[in-house]
Amino acid sequence: MRPPAGDGKPLGPENGLTTDVPGGVPEGQTSVMTRAVSRLLLMPTIATAAAILVKGYVEPGDGFSAGVVAALGILMQYLAFGREQAERMLPLRGLGYMAFFGLLLTLVVAFRGPVVGQTLMTQWPLPGDAVIHVGTLEVITAVAFDVGIFLLVLGYGTGVISLIARVVGRAERRSKEENHRDPDEAYGEDMG
Amino acid sequence: MTFIISLAVSIVFGAGAYLVLQRNLIRVVIGVILISNAANLFIVAAGIMRGRPPIYPLPEGQVVSDPLVQAMALTAIVIGSSVAALLLALSYRLYTSHSTIDIEDISRAEAEDAEALDRGEPIRRRRRGGGA
Amino acid sequence: MAALAFAAALYGWLAGGGSVDVPWAPTLDLRFAVELDGLAVLYSLLATGIGFLVVVYSSRYIPLHLHHEHRPPGDAVRFHFFILMFMGSMVGLAMAQDLILIFLFWDLTAIASYYLIGYDAHQEESRFSALMALLVTGIIAVLLLIGALVFYAAYGTFSVPELAGLTEPGLLLIVAGGLIAVAGLAKSAQVPFQFWLPRAMAAPTPVSAYLHSAAMVAAGVLLIGRVYPLLQKSEFLLGALTAIGVGSIIVGGLIALTRDVLKQLLAYSTISQYGYVVFMFGMGGKYGAMGASFYVIAHALAKSALFLTAGAVTEATGEKQLSRLGGLARPMPLLAASSGAAAAGLAALPLSIGFFKDEVLFASALQRGPVFAGLALMAATLTLAYTWRFWTGIFLGERRGEARGIPVALVLPITVLGVLVLVGGVFVSPFEELARAAGEVSYAAAIEDVELAYHLDARPENLLALATFALGALVVLSRPVWGGVVAAFARLGERVGPERVYRAGLKELNDFSTWVHQVEVRDTRGRVAAILVPAGILVGLGLVATGTSGVYRFGGFVTEDFPLLLALIGATVASVATCFVRKHVTLVLVISAAGFSIAVSYAFFGAPDVALVAVLVETLITLILLGTLKLIPFEVLRRGARIPVQYATAKVLVAVLAGGFMMALSWATLSQTTTEENAAEGLLELTPEAHGKDAVTVILADFRGLDTMGEISVVALVLLGVATLLWRGRLP
Repeated sequence: MRPPAGDGKPLGPENGLTTDVPGGVPEGQTSVMTRAVSRLLLMPTIATAAAILVKGYVEPGDGFSAGVVAALGILMQYLAFGREQAERMLPLRGLGYMAFFGLLLTLVVAFRGPVVGQTLMTQWPLPGDAVIHVGTLEVITAVAFDVGIFLLVLGYGTGVISLIARVVGRAERRSKEENHRDPDEAYGEDMG
Repeated sequence: MTFIISLAVSIVFGAGAYLVLQRNLIRVVIGVILISNAANLFIVAAGIMRGRPPIYPLPEGQVVSDPLVQAMALTAIVIGSSVAALLLALSYRLYTSHSTIDIEDISRAEAEDAEALDRGEPIRRRRRGGGA
Repeated sequence: MAALAFAAALYGWLAGGGSVDVPWAPTLDLRFAVELDGLAVLYSLLATGIGFLVVVYSSRYIPLHLHHEHRPPGDAVRFHFFILMFMGSMVGLAMAQDLILIFLFWDLTAIASYYLIGYDAHQEESRFSALMALLVTGIIAVLLLIGALVFYAAYGTFSVPELAGLTEPGLLLIVAGGLIAVAGLAKSAQVPFQFWLPRAMAAPTPVSAYLHSAAMVAAGVLLIGRVYPLLQKSEFLLGALTAIGVGSIIVGGLIALTRDVLKQLLAYSTISQYGYVVFMFGMGGKYGAMGASFYVIAHALAKSALFLTAGAVTEATGEKQLSRLGGLARPMPLLAASSGAAAAGLAALPLSIGFFKDEVLFASALQRGPVFAGLALMAATLTLAYTWRFWTGIFLGERRGEARGIPVALVLPITVLGVLVLVGGVFVSPFEELARAAGEVSYAAAIEDVELAYHLDARPENLLALATFALGALVVLSRPVWGGVVAAFARLGERVGPERVYRAGLKELNDFSTWVHQVEVRDTRGRVAAILVPAGILVGLGLVATGTSGVYRFGGFVTEDFPLLLALIGATVASVATCFVRKHVTLVLVISAAGFSIAVSYAFFGAPDVALVAVLVETLITLILLGTLKLIPFEVLRRGARIPVQYATAKVLVAVLAGGFMMALSWATLSQTTTEENAAEGLLELTPEAHGKDAVTVILADFRGLDTMGEISVVALVLLGVATLLWRGRLP
């Protein structure tokens, strides 16, 4: 597990999750160091994910692990900066929909076969055919399939966590408002 | 080694079974995660061969691990984890509607609601924070 | 859109048809095989042509209908969507040459029809009818699948043309062919499955006009026509078809004579008319094959016009019953004339297309002997009688009810259909060619010497037609005499008919599910017993049955296994620790320790891919767990975490038992994994062929890519599910 924060704050006995929980962190609870390091680590993480992705066919790793790595890289920003600031800094809105774009991409790859008269899920190039190289990268449809999985997992990972972060944020807003309003009223409305 | 692996599988599985029997929903979910971990370990261990990673160039004269079980286990791990995420979201949802994550409390409340519906009465609304 | 499709189908026919044959899953022998042959052209033209007219009609009817039902006008979109979906799947069904493909399209039509029949979903009657149509036609469709699988098991192909060349008469043909035929008969609402069709009249009128004259019920006889090359080899099946056809003709015809509600009358008439088609298939021969196809055309044109008439009349007067209508010919002359033409077509009067349908009926019956001719005569008489009753009841006689003006779009499609019926009565050859081409597909041979024309001589067909007219007149005139008897027959059917069986079955099913729910909800601790105990017993039985003596092997231990041993010990200790931890945060940390240990052990299994994914997934799930803990207040989490002692013992016992069974199972399995090494080595050898080096990734992305598709679909669904549960379905 990626260390969530570098400031060595101990986990509290019951609710000391402040450094662990994305989005639930008000700014200022993470140290400057944490934020700087997470900021610095973002690009290397994404690069690592890309490497895992495109080389997945020849080395360990595939679209799935690449997706989780990239998602964790983005989630690190959530941890360090809090959800709202992270979303201001990075183009994170709509990342959840990326999952369905990825699913679509894998479907396209899968149904390419029947369209050109081959079996469902036939990859291109066929066995025995020459592979086109772009640098050291091999151009094969299986990589496109993996890219679809990558997008899907990226959308899934960031989507689920940031959903939880939003709910936490909403609950915290509510609990602040509760001082002024009737508590039951505050919860009743959005549970439909 | 066969015996040790299957012992490990069965202990992890047994721990998962124990947690699944708990009243607390979070513990139940954790039990499910453990059980699926045990199953994945079992799948990987069930490979025909165990040895070097199945990546070309294959090592000369050495045994290579069975790639098929690995692919299957990968699929199972991913599905298992997403099911756990869904279960957690469901638990949270149950908490918002019943103010508790204790299965006994929830099922008692469900039974009361069913009886109320049978009698044609409206369902009692519960709110977060109150006891069930 | 429908018009375009119609034009395309027509063009395809004139251009000589074409075929597409793509094997989409050759390992399962599934092929996407479609061909625009005679049968396909006929049913595609019907589906798109009548579909087009119905869409024109409903473009005005549905807004009016929605207005009457106080529903928003936007609901019309849903209607048109499902009509078009139905049309598409019907065309697909007509062209499909592969039994599995037929089954897929078949179920698509059933789904579309469910939404169409249940269009007025706020009415219980509507929902009930839609469910009934879905259950009867959909569940029985499973028989089609079973029949297809039986054929496949015996002959190794799902393709109908190939099967036609392979099958031999015998028990297998009777069983498999019979199963398929039953599916078709249920869809065509033949006895004893007829009860769903009158119920389905709860649908809006255009739906009835389309589904229950030209499309859904026609799909049943289409299926029979498609597999007819197989069926006709078995005398037994032909005999059964004849009997069912006759039964449907009698039941449908007699009840149609008694019905008062317009659409009910037409529904029973449809049952009876498709009885004719099945009867003709049963009599067989070239007349039978071609006649059945011709009959479908003639009937579809006439019956859809009559259904649309019923809708138009109800729209104009607000009345649905024959007894409250009458004398509408004067205020609505065009409608009266158009539907008169259609009625003439149904009743087989000369100068309408219907005359020829009875001509082929008589011709094929005469081939089989006087008994069949007698049955045909009776059938034609019944048709004439109830059609007469329908048309004269609405348009002639004493004027009853006020008629409002109705939009042209509600009359025009009926006029088009009526004109077609009359044109067919004069220039029959285009329709004849259509039917011939379709008949040849069913008959699996050329049909040459069957010609439809007026013969002004005393040949038996003509005599029978004359007799029909005479008898029909007699039946109409003598209604007071037999009216009571037939009504009693209809009531008897309601009392003891198959619909009661259906209702009783549905009730039992409901009660059963309520019972299961009660057990689940009321007795939570029972869920342990309900799942774990039977599973344990099954596993135990399996172990006993396979015999385990001498199976268990301890397995060697080499020094290289030492890291694996350490990882496994870590996983075991952490797992056991989860049972004793009280605090949730600690619990999460402990379980992730267990997860990471297991992930590390994958690395020592020579599975770096699995290890990588497992570590990453474990991280993700730990984050999600912590997030969920943050969402739920501490005091709620704590409640139920402490276990009363008396339960604890039982739980420990069950857990130890479960672990023990797992031990027996996994040890037995892992001890004997030396059978076939070819599978794994084959995959390894194929990996360079797929331009990859990592065998696991290649398996995931290529060899078993479809499994991966399934897997990531689950992930996408989970994302949707979580979003729905947490944030009302909105994704971030």
